[in-house]
Amino acid sequence: MTDTAIETAALGKRFGWRQGGWALRDCTLRLPVGRVCAVVGPNGAGKSTLLAHAAGLLAPTEGGISVLGTTPSAARERMAYVAQDKPLYPQLTVAETLRMGAELNPRRWDAAVAGRIVEEGGLDLGSKIRSLSGGQRTRVALALALGKRPELLLLDEPMADLDPLARHQLMGTLLADSADHGTTVVMSSHVVAELEGSCDHLFLLGGGRVRLAGPLDALIAAHTLVTGPTGDLAPHTVVESRTTGRQITALIRPEGRIAAGWRTAEPTLEELVLAHLRAPGAPALTLTDEGDAHDEGDGGTNSGNNDGETNGTRTRGASV
Amino acid sequence: MTSAVAATATAARQGPRLRGLTWTVLRVHRPALLVWCAYVLLMTGWMFWVQYVSGARVRAEMAACRRVEGGCIDVMTFSHSMNEGWIGTLIAYASYGIAAWAGASLIGRELERGTAQLAWAQSISPTRWLTAKLAVPAVALTVGTTVLVLVYRWFWTASQDLRGSEWHDPDPFLNRGPAVLAYALCALAVGALAGIALRRSLPALAVAFGLILWFHLYVDRHWHELWPARTLSGTGGSWFPSQHPASHFWPLHLMTTSVILTVAVVATGAAYWLLRRRTR
Repeated sequence: MTDTAIETAALGKRFGWRQGGWALRDCTLRLPVGRVCAVVGPNGAGKSTLLAHAAGLLAPTEGGISVLGTTPSAARERMAYVAQDKPLYPQLTVAETLRMGAELNPRRWDAAVAGRIVEEGGLDLGSKIRSLSGGQRTRVALALALGKRPELLLLDEPMADLDPLARHQLMGTLLADSADHGTTVVMSSHVVAELEGSCDHLFLLGGGRVRLAGPLDALIAAHTLVTGPTGDLAPHTVVESRTTGRQITALIRPEGRIAAGWRTAEPTLEELVLAHLRAPGAPALTLTDEGDAHDEGDGGTNSGNNDGETNGTRTRGASV
Repeated sequence: MTSAVAATATAARQGPRLRGLTWTVLRVHRPALLVWCAYVLLMTGWMFWVQYVSGARVRAEMAACRRVEGGCIDVMTFSHSMNEGWIGTLIAYASYGIAAWAGASLIGRELERGTAQLAWAQSISPTRWLTAKLAVPAVALTVGTTVLVLVYRWFWTASQDLRGSEWHDPDPFLNRGPAVLAYALCALAVGALAGIALRRSLPALAVAFGLILWFHLYVDRHWHELWPARTLSGTGGSWFPSQHPASHFWPLHLMTTSVILTVAVVATGAAYWLLRRRTR
């Protein structure tokens, strides 16, 4: 039994032959088992590409990825994946779709779990998939994924078509199921609010690169929101700063004590994510778990991965 | 839900039944299977009808004509050879439809919609998925085409007195042996390769259709070179323009079959190679 759900090493994927067509580049991440991880980033950040690699649906252009201690294809049976557009066969009924889940996962299928999720949505088992709404299709796709009883559940924008009530209810089912069975959940989204309160791990991607990675509380603790009169913030690492009149508001990674005269606050998840998205030049930060077997340092390791401007010159920046 | 579970459970107790990936492929492509069965039945029925119903009328007419002084205009024989020609063509060119279907519906649309990835996200590897996607239609095509070839052979021989075609005409040449089955399997493989390469149904349909069309025309033009022709010194009978006697049917036919099967094997290998390279 491994304690790592997903580990990538310099994973890169280029679609087509264009020089600038990298969907994902230099992606080095580690996700311990049992976590509920949010993969956040703007559209085109590489979230779907990362999840599809983990699901064994794409071959990387460079680097490598291992899932549940083995290759994605060897772990196929132990993980479930729901793609962004929730593909299902439109000509099949709900019951036939669930039967397909049983037929294609002969050693793992739990019909009761899948049936409960479909039942909670009030879906008619005899209705064809093509007659369902987007949200109902999402429910069937999630039933297919959870019915497999996966050790790792990969969900690409799972809640996008659901109404708030169904979203809340399905998220509850998902998290309860994950807590009961120790399932690792990886969920991508560009709606940060959707993830707040349900995740304990964060991967923030931008422009095909890792911007932030680590346990959510450790990432938040590593940042401080400071407000004060304009002045020098050295030696701290400034992620983003905005000046309004003679006031400056900045998200920093403190290096040592913050001078008196600055008002400090803990950033919210949304503030943390937005500040990094607004400042694409900010250095990347990867934190590992404290007390974790794979810990490389005393609590946290900063890896500088400073992406240059968008003109394509790639410089691996100095360590923070 | 419980009723569906119960239904599945009872079905499981009723002895052998379709399972796993085979069930999925058959269920998803059920309309195509029904169309194929209808085609085989229709063609078989048409041949029986031509031989026993319309053929009997033509023969009666011909017998009556022979008794008339100076003969009469032979309209009915013409209608017979029309039927015969259409039957031969529809069997010989079924591979065009098979290639289009395999490229568009069997593979291309699945990759375009993401339903292939849905199968791979279950416990099915892409290689196993492709194997089932090829094997299930291959069985249906083999069974159906074998029936058609056997019935066509009987039909061709039985309507000897009325037919207008010779053994070396393109359609009877293909339809009287395994070459037409080889074409069906080759079309399946070429369609699958086009679907995997293009990952979209409409381009895959066009490319698969175009490839098999070109290949068919190419083979039509060159199959008579596949066996050494004899110099013209025979005693008449049915001679092919480039001096193939009728006894060359089987050598020529089997050589043609092996060329088509070689292309089918190469296309299948390329399809697996491409799929394995894309996924891991």
